[in-house]
Amino acid sequence: MIIEFSLNGTGVSVDAPADRTLLAVLRDHLNLTGTKEGCGVGECGACSVLLDGRLVNSCLVLAAQAGGRQVITIEGIRSPDGGPNDLQQAFIDSGAVQCGYCIPGMVLAGEALLAANSRPKRTEIRQAIAGNLCRCTGYQQIVDAIQATATKRQEQNHG
Amino acid sequence: MERFGYVRALSILEAVALLNEPGIRSRPLAGGTDLILITRTEPALCDRVVDITQIPDLHHITLEGDRVVIGAAATFSEVIENQIVSSTAPMLIQACRQVGATQIRNMGTLGGNVANAAACADSLPALVCLDAVARVLTPNGEQEWLVSEMVRGPNRTIIPAGGLLVSLSYTVPMPGSQSVFIKLGRRNAMAISRLTVAALGRLDETGRIAEARLVPGSATPHICRFRVVEESLIDQVPSHELFQSAARLTADEMTRQSGRRWSSEFKEPSLTAMTARALAQVFETGGRNA
Repeated sequence: MIIEFSLNGTGVSVDAPADRTLLAVLRDHLNLTGTKEGCGVGECGACSVLLDGRLVNSCLVLAAQAGGRQVITIEGIRSPDGGPNDLQQAFIDSGAVQCGYCIPGMVLAGEALLAANSRPKRTEIRQAIAGNLCRCTGYQQIVDAIQATATKRQEQNHG
Repeated sequence: MERFGYVRALSILEAVALLNEPGIRSRPLAGGTDLILITRTEPALCDRVVDITQIPDLHHITLEGDRVVIGAAATFSEVIENQIVSSTAPMLIQACRQVGATQIRNMGTLGGNVANAAACADSLPALVCLDAVARVLTPNGEQEWLVSEMVRGPNRTIIPAGGLLVSLSYTVPMPGSQSVFIKLGRRNAMAISRLTVAALGRLDETGRIAEARLVPGSATPHICRFRVVEESLIDQVPSHELFQSAARLTADEMTRQSGRRWSSEFKEPSLTAMTARALAQVFETGGRNA
């Protein structure tokens, strides 16, 4: 079936079987491999994307469900010059990236949190990334990176 | 080859029509957090899924007289963020917060939790405690059941084939009521419930218990109010001893309904402690207005 949706701000049209997940269509049909498949059953968060601004596991969403809606993947998170945005840079600066497999999902979980809550407490950051598993870092550096970005964005908005 | 087709319904009537189209075995697709997984292990489950998530009416949460009506496709996140629910049934908010993590709460729906009827469903004990009513549309009309009557057991409901669960509603608890939801899982997030307790109650002007409702979850095959425990509390003055005795009765009742099994040794003391804690919160100071 033909599925049309907004992908990272640009309209796309893809011909894919109706039973394909959004994850499969992003990776295999649209060649956007930043979104990772981890567990495939909605427990690890590696495949997280934003669907109409909400963080979802793309392994549990049919691509057809995205029809007419807005999808943001990790490829859509970047600074205007194409490099890492402030949150991604904070991940690098905080040493939050080790093997990197969970990071696209973590960054999207961080962006979803900061869009809804510009001054998150540390516990709120932990709750926001509770659906994203990382086996390398122990999470401290990831929480640090999201917190540092929240602080920096507040300073920019007020200063 | 496609294992199943996809069609999106734009209204409730269209959804019911699509679900009952002759010759096509259709299943409603809401959050998909259960259904998408089931289609992988049961490829012959259905010929087509009918996406009901883009029907605005199924997301509405409204106060109609003294009843709160929640559209069946309202996501857990939508319920959590809703002022009407938080001001009338904090227990339901607490239960919805316990579901999965952000990603699951953003997709998973209250109606899906009820219709899928997992034994460990977090919202079910809260809805049963609220005496919630489910409204189901079929081509022949509509039917209403108490959630506790509609959900018969693990993954078993009496929703007829082709029926669509459209809303869940409850009467606003009486002024002065407090409610609480407690969950025991292996960790804080993304944990399947080992046990839950939903409790709601109210004291009369003399300080005696005027109303008590108690629903353990993941404890019995059929999620129901434990009337024998509730009756033991009515007209009593709240005390530590009363709650301990009601809590032991709750564990006994669980074992009576479920039989003794390998987990009983763990579940009995856990449910006793959780029930005593829930009752203390409802009838002393720790509960929340509901």
